[in-house]
Amino acid sequence: MLSKSQARAFFLGGTFLFSAAFLILTVDTLRQNPTRTKEQNMSAAARAGKLIWEKNNCMGCHTLLGEGAYYAPDLTKIVQQKGAEYLKVFLTDPQAMYPGQRRMVKYNFTDQEKEQVIAFLEWVGNIDTNNWPPKPNIEPPATGNTVALALPAEKPEKYTQLCMACHKLGGTGGVVGPALDGVGKKYDAEYLDRWLKDPPSVKAGTTMPKLPLTDNERQELVRFLASLK
Amino acid sequence: MRFKSQKIAFWFFAVCMLLLILQVTYGFIMGFARIGMDGLHDFIPFNAARATHTNLLVVWLLTGFMGAAYYIIPEEADRELHMPQLAWVQLISWVVVGVIAIVGFHFNWWEGRKFLEIPRPLDYLVVVNVLLFLYLIGMTIWNAKKHSTTQLVLFFGLFCAALLYLPGMIYFDNQTLDSYFRWWVVHLWVEGVWELIMGAILAFLLIKLTGVDREVVEKWLYVIVGLTFLSGILGTGHHYYWIGTPKYWLMVGGIFSALEPLAFLGMALWAINMYRKKGKDHPNKLALYWTLGCAIMSFVGAGFLGFAHTWPQVNKWTHGTLITAMHGHMAFWGAYGMLVFAVIAYALPQLTGRKLFNNLSGYLAFWSANIGMVGMTGALAVAGITQVYLERKLGLDFLAAQKETEVHFIGMMLAALLFTFGVILFIYDFIRHGKPNDEAIVAATSAE
Ligand code: HEC
Ligand code: HEC
Ligand code: HEM
Ligand code: HEM
Ligand SMILES: [Fe+2]
Repeated sequence: MLSKSQARAFFLGGTFLFSAAFLILTVDTLRQNPTRTKEQNMSAAARAGKLIWEKNNCMGCHTLLGEGAYYAPDLTKIVQQKGAEYLKVFLTDPQAMYPGQRRMVKYNFTDQEKEQVIAFLEWVGNIDTNNWPPKPNIEPPATGNTVALALPAEKPEKYTQLCMACHKLGGTGGVVGPALDGVGKKYDAEYLDRWLKDPPSVKAGTTMPKLPLTDNERQELVRFLASLK
Repeated sequence: MRFKSQKIAFWFFAVCMLLLILQVTYGFIMGFARIGMDGLHDFIPFNAARATHTNLLVVWLLTGFMGAAYYIIPEEADRELHMPQLAWVQLISWVVVGVIAIVGFHFNWWEGRKFLEIPRPLDYLVVVNVLLFLYLIGMTIWNAKKHSTTQLVLFFGLFCAALLYLPGMIYFDNQTLDSYFRWWVVHLWVEGVWELIMGAILAFLLIKLTGVDREVVEKWLYVIVGLTFLSGILGTGHHYYWIGTPKYWLMVGGIFSALEPLAFLGMALWAINMYRKKGKDHPNKLALYWTLGCAIMSFVGAGFLGFAHTWPQVNKWTHGTLITAMHGHMAFWGAYGMLVFAVIAYALPQLTGRKLFNNLSGYLAFWSANIGMVGMTGALAVAGITQVYLERKLGLDFLAAQKETEVHFIGMMLAALLFTFGVILFIYDFIRHGKPNDEAIVAATSAE
């Protein structure tokens, strides 16, 4: 039978051996880190952005690299998915972007601070994470506007900057709102204009936000949407 | 109780109960926010509630461990505590630092790193405080007539826990490294050195409660903590799959973390076998319930539910979802929450001389807290599976998927109510014991 001194030797020996192995792997991880995290791309703005991220404990609601809290979406790839312009608008007034939904704190960031946070998130999005997060691998149930239609070549700049973050068109874009394929068949230009001007006045309680668009930008978008037939 | 200075443990336990009640309160604030009732958002946003909830958890557990050490070490060392007045200084300064930290969270004063939110200046105070604690129990052991394995393992565990707090205090501007060393604190605590503390405290309780020969109990203690380090150190790799660290961690972390449940299985089998071999019937049945319950629930919460999502192929989908929260609740409760409850259930009658064990409220507390926790875990599991399927597998928008989890959070809070009822009953019994007193001191032979 095992004696107490043998048991102690097992404990001490194991501890020493596995601590040593762990330290060796740590050294190698540190060695590979600059390449894997593309440290050369970490700008001064990104460094400053990390401080803003920590100072406000964004991780107390969000996850980043899958670590943090589960109250708000993971932000690892957010800049790559939704784009910097959209995020600037979002960070100006988070609650306006998701009316009536779960609330984020409204921080009064300056333009420079917004750029720094976005620079930090963009840098994080380029870390080699062994392909995490994984792509969804089950087809969602079909929902209305999914028939692939011929796409007009030219998209207005604001469309790519703002609308794509939430809407799919021709299979690319976000999943917050419905896909916009064929939306020109569904609504006429006059309706679309009223809709983009102030969604809640057209449909009370809607979750489509009122976005900051100039008259010109809005008209360009309406022409574009109306052409999606 | 055999020594006057052990009485300090009582006050640590009392603080512990107070913090637990606060922690649960903040849990409910978050639970309500998750079903759309976030009326407190402007004063206590979710991140403040969460930092408070998890930090209070860690602090009440550490307070419980410290109380346990102040109770156990003099008894094992067979002498009074070294400078017992300083233990009071340590308790009071510990509470002051804790209160400042918690209040600070509500004013956006924190470090913003999960579980390590306490701001840097306060970290230094924590270090000084813990050094004082280690000095007091260290000197008690140093001057002891005998050095039992139990007290050495307990001290070694506490010492390593203090040491491992330090890597969490280094600043990295690289998010990957920040995270890498954050796990040296979080993972190496709960799946490493805290298990030493757990093993030592369980060993002490098993020796007292079952009367099995110390040599046998302590031999298996070595085997269990050996298994802990064998699997747990390299098992840290299960947090290094997706944070930008090299690919070999998928294999290293996968294999070694899959072995981690062995240590918890060992803990459960050890406790049950020592109970089977018992040489006497200790009258404090409730302490035995909590002791065996801890050994078993830790295997379920940490071992089994940890194993469920530790393989890279599974973790890829569940990483950073409510599945993690499901495991976090049951693991912390089963392993460390119940451990502290076990020590308190054993020590209170000894400290106060009032033998209130074996009354109905005690058993009711045990069963409703545990059934409540199982219910909370079940509800979180269903919410987690829903989230993984809708958001990760189907690609539904985050908020849309969260909407579908709301109903499970209603269930979770109903179960949490049962849990809280159990905790309140436990505290009711705690209060009924009254204060510790010198009349409770008994000679070595009749102490056990
Ligand atoms: C109180 C919780 C909370 C805190 C704190 C918080 N967020 Fe959010 N955040 C949310 C929620 C909830 C959403 C989901 C959209 C919404 O309802 O606004 C969100 C969404 C986002 C989005 C993505 C928007 C989109 O359309 O996908 C970004 C980017 C973001 N937050 C950045 C931050 C940053 C940066 C911080 C820290 C300075 C932060 N958040 C702090 C709750 C929070
Ligand atoms: C924050 C996410 C978000 C952004 C950004 C956004 N939308 Fe929407 N949008 C929605 C949601 C959600 C709906 C569904 C609203 C409803 O049904 O109440 C919607 C609905 C619509 C509809 C009606 C679709 C239908 O089939 O009924 C149109 C058209 C539309 N959006 C156009 C736009 C345009 C153009 C932009 C860019 C300027 C834009 N959206 C930006 C979320 C968004
Ligand atoms: C008492 C022991 C344990 C406690 C208290 C505990 C607690 C926790 C907590 C709180 C987290 C979340 C950490 C964070 O995201 O910051 C976590 C994560 C995790 N735990 Fe444990 N755990 C324990 C044991 C185990 C064991 C034995 C295993 C494996 C067999 C395990 C596997 C995991 C995994 C894989 C994660 C990562 C989840 C993710 O990717 O989001 N745990 N644990
Ligand atoms: C009884 C009422 C309780 C409620 C309603 C509650 C609720 C919650 C909620 C909503 C979260 C946040 C999850 C998220 O990020 O969205 C959380 C986190 C957490 N709670 Fe509780 N909780 C309760 C009690 C407890 C107890 C008793 C423990 C431990 C023994 C505990 C341990 C934890 C841990 C470890 C986390 C962090 C989990 C992680 O990051 O993975 N909670 N709790
Ligand atoms: Fe871990």
